[in-house]
Amino acid sequence: MNKIATSLDTVQEDIGRFYDPEQHHFMVMNAVDLGQQLEIQWFFSHYAPPYDTTTFFALASPDATIPSIRSIVASAWVAEAELVDLMDIRIEGSEKGFVLEPDFDSGPLRKNK
Amino acid sequence: MAQQYEIPVGAQHISLLEPLHFKFTTENEKIVHTDANVYYVHRGIEKACCTKFKFRQVSFVVGRVCGLCSISHTTAYSQVAEKLLKIEIPKRAKYLRMLVIELDRIHSHLLCLSHVAENSGFEALFMKTMQYREFSMELLEAICGNRIQYDFSIVGGVARDLKPEVANQVLRRLDHFMPQLEELADIFRNNWTLSLKNKGVGAISRETALRLNVVGPFARAAGLAVDVRNETEDLLPWKEAGFEMVTETSGDVYARNMVRIRELYVSISIIRNIINGLPETPIVTETKAFPDGEAVVRLEAPRGELFYYAKGNKTQVLERLKIKAPTFSNVAAMVEAFRGNEYGSAPAIIASYDPCLSCTAR
Amino acid sequence: MKLATYRKKSPWILHYNAGGCNGCDIEILACLAPKYDIERFGMINTGNPKQSDILLVTGPVTKRSRERLVEIYAQMPEPKVVVACGACASTGGVFRGMYNCEGGVDQFIPVDVYVCGCGTRPEQIIDGVVQALAILEQKNKDMEASVRLNTQPIAEDEQLNRRHVAASITPTPTV
Ligand code: SF4
Repeated sequence: MNKIATSLDTVQEDIGRFYDPEQHHFMVMNAVDLGQQLEIQWFFSHYAPPYDTTTFFALASPDATIPSIRSIVASAWVAEAELVDLMDIRIEGSEKGFVLEPDFDSGPLRKNK
Repeated sequence: MAQQYEIPVGAQHISLLEPLHFKFTTENEKIVHTDANVYYVHRGIEKACCTKFKFRQVSFVVGRVCGLCSISHTTAYSQVAEKLLKIEIPKRAKYLRMLVIELDRIHSHLLCLSHVAENSGFEALFMKTMQYREFSMELLEAICGNRIQYDFSIVGGVARDLKPEVANQVLRRLDHFMPQLEELADIFRNNWTLSLKNKGVGAISRETALRLNVVGPFARAAGLAVDVRNETEDLLPWKEAGFEMVTETSGDVYARNMVRIRELYVSISIIRNIINGLPETPIVTETKAFPDGEAVVRLEAPRGELFYYAKGNKTQVLERLKIKAPTFSNVAAMVEAFRGNEYGSAPAIIASYDPCLSCTAR
Repeated sequence: MKLATYRKKSPWILHYNAGGCNGCDIEILACLAPKYDIERFGMINTGNPKQSDILLVTGPVTKRSRERLVEIYAQMPEPKVVVACGACASTGGVFRGMYNCEGGVDQFIPVDVYVCGCGTRPEQIIDGVVQALAILEQKNKDMEASVRLNTQPIAEDEQLNRRHVAASITPTPTV
């Protein structure tokens, strides 16, 4: 796994420069709770040898708004909508309620909840 | 503009095995827009895996993510845990894992084919396919001890060895299955009635598949040669066992059926190769280490690429486990591929995606 | 009544997955297929709750499926029998205590037969459904019995009887 550090301000630019639909496959977006901060990860794999995985990661505070990459990767909306509910974060253009019921306090995967 | 109607399908519907909700917007008979709600079965397994269960127990819990591909989930989890523990498993364990994964693929593909036949209105073919599918369930029971939840892969290897009598039985039953598979392949390929419901229906192009990151038989039917079995050799030696890539070009329901049928032949040859060349080594690697660090694993489940991310913190309980199931990647394309088709074809199209919502929602 | 006879001979089943892993669902499907062939008992799988007699539920009931489950149950005509298939439908099983699960079908609707196992075997499902048939017959009898009203009329009590107290309604002759 090949990890590339990025930040919330530059992630759209970085992924936009990297992603080529003919060569890369967007897998999923993930977040890990590190206590004070969240580590947001975007996973890509390659269609051609050596078929390795490239991960972009950025640190974000829990109340930051995370830029959406759906203008670059068309199918990313599913992963983003899921993460909004499970991690209780804000992502541009994603609404709550895709995964969990509205009467549920969101963010079950956060440590302090 | 013609008048638009909204037709809901689901959450409970005769053509659906699982709760899944589609809202079709149709103009006359043509579907112009689709909304999907796929999270009816969200249970919260990821959270439970990082809090309630110890890392050795998790391989049994993730099997319950999906009953159709439980062996893929347990194997992928075991592999990611082995990466965190930094251990290498014996060769025989790898081969036995591949054996069960391929048998599981046979039963899963046959189930999907029968479901397509049923939803296309061909009840007799549904019964026939289900009848022929029983041999794989019986073999899985003979190997693993259970018909659906195998609990076969454990962290460090596999739970049971393959007895020589069972190995012989597998070969014998496969020989018996071959003519039946020929018969099914002939019906799916040449039956005129079925082709009316399947040919040219629910098609997506290679470009759309690339743009929407489609995986599995769905992508291979559209001509996109993606298969994790084709890629890495270090975790499971697929190519050594005789893997071949199967692709079609037209991307419709018919092409997806053909991909599945042809993959059955590949799976059968892999199983034969494995049984004939099973290495004689132990089946588990023991270790007392605790998981540490981060790792990702990709594995080809019957429906496509399965992805596991795990992070350990040197304790019994994992820090984070992320599961990405194949259908999750296909949701975006599933919604797209309905556009322009008749509403009457929708059940067959849904079945041909082979959606697994339990995997998607976890 | 004719319908009762036929219902006894060929109940229609309805299947709903309330959040299980699909394992038990494909075993239900295997029951319908030639090897186990539940149709020899006259059963057929319908997709319509309004025509079904036996509801087969799998899964631990997730938060989003609970209303659908109750709705489906409510739409089924009486008499009806619920069979919970699998460990997770009976008690929550491995999913018990997970944040989006309720733990068992019987938290929401009355369950008549519990089928154990994770995943449950087709033989067990058939056994459960055959037990459900007996319960269905019993429920049928109970329903008809209640129509015949064989309870005793209430015995004489101490209450005032209007007829004895009030004046007679025979018109008094006018003078
Ligand atoms: S009882 Fe087990 S096999 Fe059946 S649906 Fe539940 S988890 Fe799956």
